[in-house]
Amino acid sequence: MVMSRLQKIPVVEEKKGNPLARVFDDLVRFCRSRSLFILHYCTGCGAIELPPAMTSRFDMERLGIQPMVSPRQADILLITGYVSIKTLKRVILTYEQMGSPKYVVGICSCTVNGGMYWQSYATAKKLDEYMPVDLYIAGCMPRPEAVISGLQKLMDRIKNGEADSWQDYYRNYDYYLGNQQKLFGEDWQTPTDIITEAKHYELMGEGTLGQHTRLLEQHQQPLEALEMRLGHKLKEPVE
Amino acid sequence: MAPIELFIELTLMPLIAFIVGMMMVLMMRRIAARIQRRIGPPFFQPLYDIVKLHGKRTQVSHGLIHDIGIVMAMGGYIAAETLLPVPGMNGIAEKGGLITLLYLMMIPSLGLALGVGQCANPNGSIGIARALTAMLAYDIPLVIVIFGVAYAAGTTNLVEIIATQQAGGFATWGVVEMPLLAIAGLIAMHASLGKQPFEIYIAPAEIATGPMVEMSGKYLGGLFVMQCFQLYTTSVLYVSLFLGGGTTWFDFLIKSFLVLAIPVSIAYLFPRYRTEDLLRLMWKWPVILGLIGLAFVM
Amino acid sequence: MIFSLLDELLIFSAATVLVALILGRGLAVGWMVTILYGGQLLVLIKMAALGYGGDPIASELSLSVMGQDLSWRFDALSWFFALITLVAALLTSWFSCGEWERKFKQQRGNVWLFHLAMALNVFTMLILLASGDLLSLFIGWELVSWAGFLLMAVAGGVATKAAIRYITYAVVGGMSIFGGIALVYAAAGSLQYEAILIAVEKMSTGQLWMLVLLFGSGFGIKMGLLPFHLWQAAAYAETPGPGSAFLGAISSRMGLFAILLVLVKLFGIVNIDSLKIPFTLIDARDLLAWIAVFTIIFPTYTALKQNDARYLLAWHGIGQGGYMLLGLVTANSLGAAGGLLHVLNYAACQAALLMAVFAVMHRTGTADLNKLGGLVARMPLSFLVLLTGIIGLAGLPPMNGFVSKWLVYRSLLEDGMPLLFLGTIIGTLGTILSVYKLIHNMFLGQLRVEHEQVREAPWSMMTPMLILAGTIFVTGLLPGIPLTWVSAALQTIGLTGPEITLGGIESSSGSLDMIWVIGVLFAGFGIGAVIFYSAGPSKRVHQLDNYAGGHFLTADVRYQYSDNFYSGLMHLIRGWYRGSFQWLENSITSLVEFLSLGMQGIYRRANSEFYLLSTALFIIAWVVF
Repeated sequence: MVMSRLQKIPVVEEKKGNPLARVFDDLVRFCRSRSLFILHYCTGCGAIELPPAMTSRFDMERLGIQPMVSPRQADILLITGYVSIKTLKRVILTYEQMGSPKYVVGICSCTVNGGMYWQSYATAKKLDEYMPVDLYIAGCMPRPEAVISGLQKLMDRIKNGEADSWQDYYRNYDYYLGNQQKLFGEDWQTPTDIITEAKHYELMGEGTLGQHTRLLEQHQQPLEALEMRLGHKLKEPVE
Repeated sequence: MAPIELFIELTLMPLIAFIVGMMMVLMMRRIAARIQRRIGPPFFQPLYDIVKLHGKRTQVSHGLIHDIGIVMAMGGYIAAETLLPVPGMNGIAEKGGLITLLYLMMIPSLGLALGVGQCANPNGSIGIARALTAMLAYDIPLVIVIFGVAYAAGTTNLVEIIATQQAGGFATWGVVEMPLLAIAGLIAMHASLGKQPFEIYIAPAEIATGPMVEMSGKYLGGLFVMQCFQLYTTSVLYVSLFLGGGTTWFDFLIKSFLVLAIPVSIAYLFPRYRTEDLLRLMWKWPVILGLIGLAFVM
Repeated sequence: MIFSLLDELLIFSAATVLVALILGRGLAVGWMVTILYGGQLLVLIKMAALGYGGDPIASELSLSVMGQDLSWRFDALSWFFALITLVAALLTSWFSCGEWERKFKQQRGNVWLFHLAMALNVFTMLILLASGDLLSLFIGWELVSWAGFLLMAVAGGVATKAAIRYITYAVVGGMSIFGGIALVYAAAGSLQYEAILIAVEKMSTGQLWMLVLLFGSGFGIKMGLLPFHLWQAAAYAETPGPGSAFLGAISSRMGLFAILLVLVKLFGIVNIDSLKIPFTLIDARDLLAWIAVFTIIFPTYTALKQNDARYLLAWHGIGQGGYMLLGLVTANSLGAAGGLLHVLNYAACQAALLMAVFAVMHRTGTADLNKLGGLVARMPLSFLVLLTGIIGLAGLPPMNGFVSKWLVYRSLLEDGMPLLFLGTIIGTLGTILSVYKLIHNMFLGQLRVEHEQVREAPWSMMTPMLILAGTIFVTGLLPGIPLTWVSAALQTIGLTGPEITLGGIESSSGSLDMIWVIGVLFAGFGIGAVIFYSAGPSKRVHQLDNYAGGHFLTADVRYQYSDNFYSGLMHLIRGWYRGSFQWLENSITSLVEFLSLGMQGIYRRANSEFYLLSTALFIIAWVVF
């Protein structure tokens, strides 16, 4: 399902004729791959493997990977372990607050298929139904070496310009929103306005709007930014 | 001086400051890594970070003041660099002097404070409140030190302060003539860098990096650039006041890096003070040292 | 009879008072009065030669009262202060026209009384500034005190209480000045400045000490010098908006003017310098300098604690007075110029700041720093004015406050006074802290739901604010212009100014050229902007799209940090606020009450002839000795 939809993403033709621009793009991509700030959302047991990966034993900073605190600063959302439905709301909120290009790495089998929580009523089984996941590192739990080699794979894909599933969230927002609504109810809304964001950054795709976004619009609290203004704008009379 | 020559100097001084500043960031991270028995980031890591942050596709702005704040944070330091003499280049150091430089260095903080304020995030506001409190803490010993040096030199002109030290050789360096002031200055400088144990306003585990909490993409990138300038300015100012500036670029850079290495090496051995403990510490020991040193100078 | 320019000015000013008195209940009186202030300013500008070292202009009017000649004249110093007074009056009055007035009326304010009080204040201040001898100075002084009382009491309620407190202080100050004048008269036999100048040379140390204390405390009360500062904050803050801005900008500086005239010009800094305090190392001049520094520090840190924007600024007004006095007491060319220039710079900043605060109050109805926030999106121009003002007040480049403070710092550095220098910096840091709290809690942070529909202040209020903001920037960019006036003013009180260039000052031990500094600063901002804006688009987001550790923010839960803003600092220094001055005031008040009770008792018992006789004897004894 996901793979078929991924193939539908229109491939942006690289501009030809200006070699300087291409070199510049390559440089930016290279820098992106060599500087990854992680936000780790440690919801389960997998967190235990991250300290050795970061500290003196394996030292991820060699690869330019360092932990960050707030989603605004981060490039990678590292989700280790099972995601309960309550937590998933926060994970989605956090994901939407990150600046693109952003990557999601799911660690441990729980994020792949629910793992040992397969039968739990309170756990979201497949992470990639709710947000595009760039990389799964399976295992229960994967060792730090596995984490690092996974991240290296992600770095290669970023360098080659293949890791662009973050665009999928904008282009197929309706699909992800639908799954989220199924889980959290019809009045589900995050503070980030993905649709206007997609319009603003020209990331609209065929699947951005659909029946689920229409449902969202019916009850959505307005999220326009506070624009600076001198004059008076009267509120429309509330019936 | 020919206008074109001055223009070149004014362009080169911030540029060099930025490049040296990036190397200082690298040194800082490498020292931190070595102290923690790690290897540390590769040579170009600071550059990667800055380029990546500026190359983000989506970035969050909380309004015009948020944008302008970052511009001020970078621009203030770019301007301050032209008042800081380096070997062979004086820029407009003679038109401003030491006090002006110190005040110009507050402009980036002011810009940052405004920008963070508009983010409407209490973590950021707490961070700024703490940063200003920290400024109140370390500026008092710093001012004693600056007063002592300027009074001893009889001028606030940095070019002259450096020239006097260089003319007399090592024996007339500030650090030899005014060792107590030099120590107090080092402590104040450490605090002004905002590194551990004086890291009260970043405090990642407590207020989520304070001022930086809502900064994404080029906003955070601007702050990274600002950090390069900050490290450079602080250490070069110290070198100019106490270590005779630099006659050549070689000894100038060596001195600057060495000076910076001292607080950085100490920093990563410590956790963090509480705000009031920082105030108590800064108002006690460096101030006492500074006042005794000042008494020797007067 | 031919009127001199000064007569024209005073007549014009008196006419303004009359217009406010007679036509004050009619329509558009605010505009009328404002235009008349403009007319006064024009006359003053005709006298501009004074500011460039022209000869003093005397008034044709002179009186002789009980053998004392009373005369009025304008010199460079008076002109400089009058310029600030009239510009402040013009702009604050402009601010009050139109919408503000209407709202004031709605809140049952007395517009007629307000305009009358303003016009009276300006008129009496001009009379004071024009005084040509000690007696006319004293008359002007008393007039200013009572006019000030009238303006402060306009609002009624809390304001009246504050105004009564003020007038109590002012009466005590007036007594002390009167005592000083009596002493001077006994020594010199005349109250003309020339006679006093000669007599001062022959005075004994004891006499001089007495005079310095009497005049110093008398004038110091108006300036809000420690320990006489308690009346000021409440009295200024509770005055109706434009009046508060006017009083805050210039009223207290009348005290500085008088100190300059009497202590610096008549007694001379050198004479004051020779007054040693027994058994200590300090002399009267050091005493004044230290009073100035404490006047900077204590009120500034009291301001830091305030939660009302008006009070915060009013407390700063007291603190900034210290810089002026300190600069003038150092009496070298840099410091004196800095101190006097700060009068102008501070007046511009304080008026702009108070106007911005009152503009916000006009729209939102509160100046409580814990009930505002995020207004930059709704009142961006007021934000700009407030920002300009706080940069100026805190003394950071590129605004004008930096230049005057820089001059004061430099003078202290040159004289080798590290502790005073440290004191001024502590004051400056305190100012930076509290003005950031001011701008953050009002304009930054989260916009409250009830302020969603707030509008920018009307243009009748905005225009004078923007003019002031422009003044703050231009006098920061080209400090040479006001510095020329300052040096002319300094010459009239026997001090010399520094070597002036258009962009600052020229000095062998470090010069300042603001044109270069600001030019480079803005070039830096330009480069910063190029780097910033070339790096891809960003999107404005809603203020609730904010990091909260994964929490979903809603409009009904406030996500703002404003109360107890500097909690870490306060944790340490809270215990240091002991309210000693408040305690002092209270104990003096109870002492006076106790004495008056006792006196009442005596008065009731003894017959009144005895009472009169003893009073007369006491006065004679006091004058003779």
